[in-house]
Amino acid sequence: MKIWKKACAIAVVAGAAAFAGQAASAQETVKIGQIEALTGATATYGWMSAQGTKVAVEEINAKGGFKVGDKTYKLQLLQVDTRGEPREATVQFRKMMEENVHFVFGPFLTNVFNAIEPIANQNNGKFLLFAGATSAHHALGKPDHDYLMRAWNWDAGPSGFGKLMVDYLKKLNTKKVAMLFQNDAFGKTAVDIYAALFKDAGIELQVELFEPGTKDFSASLAKLASGKPDFLFPGYSDAVLYDIVRQSTESGFGNRFFLVRGSIGPALKNKDSIVDYIAYVPKYFEDAEKKEPKTKAFVESYKAIMKRDFPYDQAPLCSSACYDHVYMLVEAMQKAGTVSDVAKIRATLMDMTYDGMWKIKYDKTGETVFGFDVVHVRKGGAIEVVQFDPTK
Amino acid sequence: MLQLILGQLLNGIIVGSLYGIIALGVTLTFGLTGIVNFALGAFMMLGAYGTWYLYDVAHLPYPLAVVGAVLGVSAVGYVSDMLLFRFTRGNLVNGLLVSIGLISVFEALVLSAFTTTPKDLTYVLPGAFQVAGMFLPKIKLVVCAVFLVIIFGTYLALTRTWLGRAAFAYAQNPEAATLMGIRTERLQTIVVVYSTALAGLGGGLYASMYSIEPTIGTAYILKAVEAAILAGVGSVIGALGGGIILGVSENIGSVFFPSAFRDAYGLVFLIGILLVRPSGLFGDRL
Repeated sequence: MKIWKKACAIAVVAGAAAFAGQAASAQETVKIGQIEALTGATATYGWMSAQGTKVAVEEINAKGGFKVGDKTYKLQLLQVDTRGEPREATVQFRKMMEENVHFVFGPFLTNVFNAIEPIANQNNGKFLLFAGATSAHHALGKPDHDYLMRAWNWDAGPSGFGKLMVDYLKKLNTKKVAMLFQNDAFGKTAVDIYAALFKDAGIELQVELFEPGTKDFSASLAKLASGKPDFLFPGYSDAVLYDIVRQSTESGFGNRFFLVRGSIGPALKNKDSIVDYIAYVPKYFEDAEKKEPKTKAFVESYKAIMKRDFPYDQAPLCSSACYDHVYMLVEAMQKAGTVSDVAKIRATLMDMTYDGMWKIKYDKTGETVFGFDVVHVRKGGAIEVVQFDPTK
Repeated sequence: MLQLILGQLLNGIIVGSLYGIIALGVTLTFGLTGIVNFALGAFMMLGAYGTWYLYDVAHLPYPLAVVGAVLGVSAVGYVSDMLLFRFTRGNLVNGLLVSIGLISVFEALVLSAFTTTPKDLTYVLPGAFQVAGMFLPKIKLVVCAVFLVIIFGTYLALTRTWLGRAAFAYAQNPEAATLMGIRTERLQTIVVVYSTALAGLGGGLYASMYSIEPTIGTAYILKAVEAAILAGVGSVIGALGGGIILGVSENIGSVFFPSAFRDAYGLVFLIGILLVRPSGLFGDRL
């Protein structure tokens, strides 16, 4: 009888402890979802931004989490791979909504954002989406879109980097630019944005779109070169830039480049063949890590957590839109005093300025504004960096 | 304008020879094993990454890096044949499923090892020849020449050696070939491995011209299958011809029409040819 009573007592205590533990762990974890193309032809942005989020989450958890009120929370990161396919993305995103994930990072791809937008609208008020996709810009401030925050600088507008980049080009006495972009949702959006910006600046624009997956650009480049543009404006990731810059310089189609997405890697590789290579870079890491302790710490942390060399050419993709934004979100939760009231957290985010690797704030529509660098590489590899800070 | 067209005609031939070398693998594998090996594009990607690794990371001379990559890809091809393709002989659907599954496996492995960041080989042969106002990149000319030598070499091997004639005999009548003492299992394995080696070589040389990423093979296997169909499956020289026709039609089409629909120009040509010659341009010929 005594043994039976003892067993019952142990069972009750163990059960209560397990229940309490379960309740505590459920309360002490904040789920962060991320919906990006981690594999596939369009995975560059998604793969890199997923790493930025992972580094931030692991850093925060390694420090024991973060406090909101008198409770300490850890982050649980749920990353799903859309492979850049809208249908796959809708399945994954719906699942995330069913699991009550309050904070979702991504997507970077316009076609994926367009696909998940209707599902996101149905869940308006239940979560926040930190999307990098260009098409997300047009959805900001619309009814049923309170969930939407755009975690990337916008091209146009008075503080847009595209406008400032075109101004930079104008100062170089540019008369004609040839745009060579991929024939997809983003490519067409980019052409619309920049056609207006070049028109305002009085610069003539020639446009050629290429088939996704193209590696040999000779025909497009030859066609554009016959129009004798001052600058070639190719887009929009290193997956094509290395080929375009090499083929253009090697075959005599052009040696002056202007770009708003992608790295300066292709310029440095072809430094003796180019004349000018002007690129929008959220941060020139090679320089910044020598001057900024936060950037240096990020580089070291990345190497330790990811166990690989730091990808300088792709670093801005993984850090600015995700790494800093995770920290900014955590700070907003602490200031708002809640981890679940998304309306309150959104309001806090809209009011604050985060001081991380970048100074980040949101404009009144929910779009991120942060500083960036214009990197001008000249023949021989000489680099000039001009910094812009629209947050001031 | 004439210069523009001539330039793209030459570029089309060069690009087409790359389609041709993969198409040769497709046509040989189909002829001997009855399957369309869509994984040849992934083998090409492995060859490209292998070459990049041996050349840029291990610092071997480029020709040695290509040879090393081809040997490595052939070994992977042999293992794939022993473990998987061997069980799909003569079964088009099973072969297709296995080859599509292999694409996912190879791409995922390369992705986790090297990420999606494109790899751009240190230039092997930079610069271009200038002929009549046209720039012809040196590396493209060399690569095209190597492909032509390999394709014609394969043709000669198939027509002038015992093994080649055995392969043809088997393709025409498997039962009779077996009765004549041809070791069919071994022959099929040799062809599968040779096809993967060709794909590996294609990838190794591709990496000297273009940047590489884990998904490069997908586009090229589709072009190779198109080229093989255009030529008529089973024709060795036809594979080269099909590739060149495809390359030229894409490049010349892009001069007169938007480059955004570049792939469609080759397909239009393919449909046109198949309407007139359903077995392909060189169908039923060597």
